[in-house]
Amino acid sequence: MSAVAPMIFVVDDDPSVRRSLTRLLTSAGYTVEAFASAGEFLARERYTGPCCLVLDMRMPGLTGLELQETLAAAGRRLSIVFVTGHVDVPMSVRAMKRGAADLLTKPFDDKDLLAAIQRAVAKDAQDLGEEARVAELRERVARLSPREAQVFALVVTGMLNKQIAAALGIGEKTVKVHRARVMQKMRAGSVAELVRFADSVGVIVPKS
Amino acid sequence: MGLRSLLDRLTPGRATFILEERLRFEALLAELSAGLIHIPAPDIDAALELALQQVGTFLGVDRGNLDEYVGDAPGIRISWAMRGLEEPPRVMDAGQFPWTAARLARGDLVRFSRLDELPDEASIDRASYQRAGTRSKVLLPLRAAGPIVGVLSFSAVREERAWPDELVERLHLLSQAFASALQRKRVELSLAERLRFEKLLASLSAALGHLSAVEFDRGIERGLRQVVDFLGVDRGSVIEFSRDGETARSWAIEAWMDAGEFPWMTARLRRGDVVNVSRLEELPDEAAVDRRSYLTHRVKPQVAMPLLAGRAVVGGLVVSTVAAERAKSDELVQQLRLLGEVFASALSRKQGELEAQRLRQDLTHIGRVSALGELTASLAHELNQPLTAILSNAQAAQRLLAAGIVNLEEVREILRDIVTDDKRAGDIVHRLRGLIKKGDVEFVSLDLNGIVGEVAGLVRSDAIIRNVSLSLEFAADLPKVRGDRVQLQQVVLNLVLNGLDAMREPGAGERRLVIRTAREGRGAVMVAVQDTGIGIDETVVDRMFQPLYTTKAQGLGMGLAIARTIVQAHGGRLGAANNAHGGATVHFTLPVDAGKAR
Repeated sequence: MSAVAPMIFVVDDDPSVRRSLTRLLTSAGYTVEAFASAGEFLARERYTGPCCLVLDMRMPGLTGLELQETLAAAGRRLSIVFVTGHVDVPMSVRAMKRGAADLLTKPFDDKDLLAAIQRAVAKDAQDLGEEARVAELRERVARLSPREAQVFALVVTGMLNKQIAAALGIGEKTVKVHRARVMQKMRAGSVAELVRFADSVGVIVPKS
Repeated sequence: MGLRSLLDRLTPGRATFILEERLRFEALLAELSAGLIHIPAPDIDAALELALQQVGTFLGVDRGNLDEYVGDAPGIRISWAMRGLEEPPRVMDAGQFPWTAARLARGDLVRFSRLDELPDEASIDRASYQRAGTRSKVLLPLRAAGPIVGVLSFSAVREERAWPDELVERLHLLSQAFASALQRKRVELSLAERLRFEKLLASLSAALGHLSAVEFDRGIERGLRQVVDFLGVDRGSVIEFSRDGETARSWAIEAWMDAGEFPWMTARLRRGDVVNVSRLEELPDEAAVDRRSYLTHRVKPQVAMPLLAGRAVVGGLVVSTVAAERAKSDELVQQLRLLGEVFASALSRKQGELEAQRLRQDLTHIGRVSALGELTASLAHELNQPLTAILSNAQAAQRLLAAGIVNLEEVREILRDIVTDDKRAGDIVHRLRGLIKKGDVEFVSLDLNGIVGEVAGLVRSDAIIRNVSLSLEFAADLPKVRGDRVQLQQVVLNLVLNGLDAMREPGAGERRLVIRTAREGRGAVMVAVQDTGIGIDETVVDRMFQPLYTTKAQGLGMGLAIARTIVQAHGGRLGAANNAHGGATVHFTLPVDAGKAR
């Protein structure tokens, strides 16, 4: 887990609920920011540290589910603990399918909420680490020349140098040079590691 | 005996035969007899009194009496006495004159010139006559083709005198004229009486037939007063029995004694028996409690008539007297039986109406509860908000205390928030209970904006769940209306839920529900619920307010029907129309509370 205290965002239209949750989570050692609506939360600057979102499912305006969809569409991954006053099975299924960390029914016990938040935050931290790694790899990929990128894409499919040379219409020796550069720029110790990197960043294999 | 000797005896001390006088007596008798034939029935008593006086004066007797018999006992007495003489006793007691009474009853006349002419078996009579100072007397039974209707008598108290046959013959003629006058009076009066009774019956039927619940008590009391006045009794009561056999309530003229004080009579009434007791002594042993109550209240029993509706005894009509005991009268029982039918039908109609009202209330209650069923999800949500806040606040405080962080200011704030949220939860439950409550209908002056606001508060979270924007447009300075708060809330709730349901279909466009209040001309106000839903199918617009008509899979089809019934009961109208740009508007109008119009 990161050294920074995890941030908990609370989005609930009910001021009483917001106040009490803020109080409870603060007493448990979290930093809390509360919002009265999905719109207010979206307007906030994106937070990069470990965090999670405690989200009321039913709100006027954008509902909790809709906020979840909006975040996903914007490519923002966020651990969400849904809270709802009335359990609606189809809505719950939808929320969980879209990756919600947990779903609690109001009123809930503090232990349940804190446990859910803890799990969500831990997962967020883990996801953050993974994201950072992938971002680093993407940067390395970005530094490859176009030809090197082509060679990279073909090497990870398990093609031999000769086959790559044929596929790209260049000499086998040239392929070897590019390959060495790829290994170096990607800081890969072996072809196996290079394949894992390619998998992480999702290098698309061009059709031969 | 010649006429001369007759007149000698008629006018003692006068020896001369005076033709004129004889003729005058004949003329007087003829005139009296003819006159009585043409006198209207109500004036007959006065005419008889005058005739008695004229004849008595002419004959120079001391007293003249005309005792009219009612049934077979002396009743009304018309009497005349020579000036300066004491009036004879008002009531002639047959018990003091048994021999005389027996002879008269047989249709025989009684006459004596001296008391010792009376036979030995008339010794009681003789003593009574002696006490009254009567020396000579003639008594003629009055009969006109039937039972004896009275007795005509003349007496001498100052000196003895004879009653010669010629005189008695003429008095007999007079007695026939008197008898037929009495008979005619009786027939005509009883005819008039019967007519009056028919009229009373008709007016009572009309008055009690259209009694609204509000005027019921007053109407029954007014009717009872008419009955008591007509029958000439002192007390009258109507008792109502409820279905479970208890005494529901009673109405009375003068003081009513609690039915519980007359268990015997009440029990017999309940069995459907007519209780006709004119004397306390007639009450059986088991009526000891009743007897005591009669004595305590100084009332004489009379007739208690059960009130029957079909086979059920719905109550009783009881009359009684205060002053004197009265003879049992079949006529009275017969009249009470007919009057009782009128009261019985009024009571049973009222009970029927109460039953119908109860059913209507049940139905609106069902409608309300089913409408609330639809709201359950949102109410759970609404109630869970304060409960969540309370629990979180309390547990936050526990955590602070466990961690040894005692910040009194914060704890105080937490406790304040908990109290506020608890009250909020209580308010929600209270509002809910107000809607579910199956109370009596209570018409009061109401602010429609307030009612709409309360309903909006109830459905607000439901609207959120359904993703409908709910807005209120209240007319400022809206006059008050008169109505039942819960029922009107139910109407608004129903229209709003219908509006929300109409927007259930996942369609394009915004979901918007507007509740609007407005003045409708001078004398009415209006509430309109406008939605952006699927609108109303034009082909069903006529049927949509009918009971059991529904387009909803789970609908009872009672919502709008009940709403319309309620609005109509408040003197208003319920209507619906599609909007120009989609959706529908359902509205109702209510008359302005006349007492509160601004």
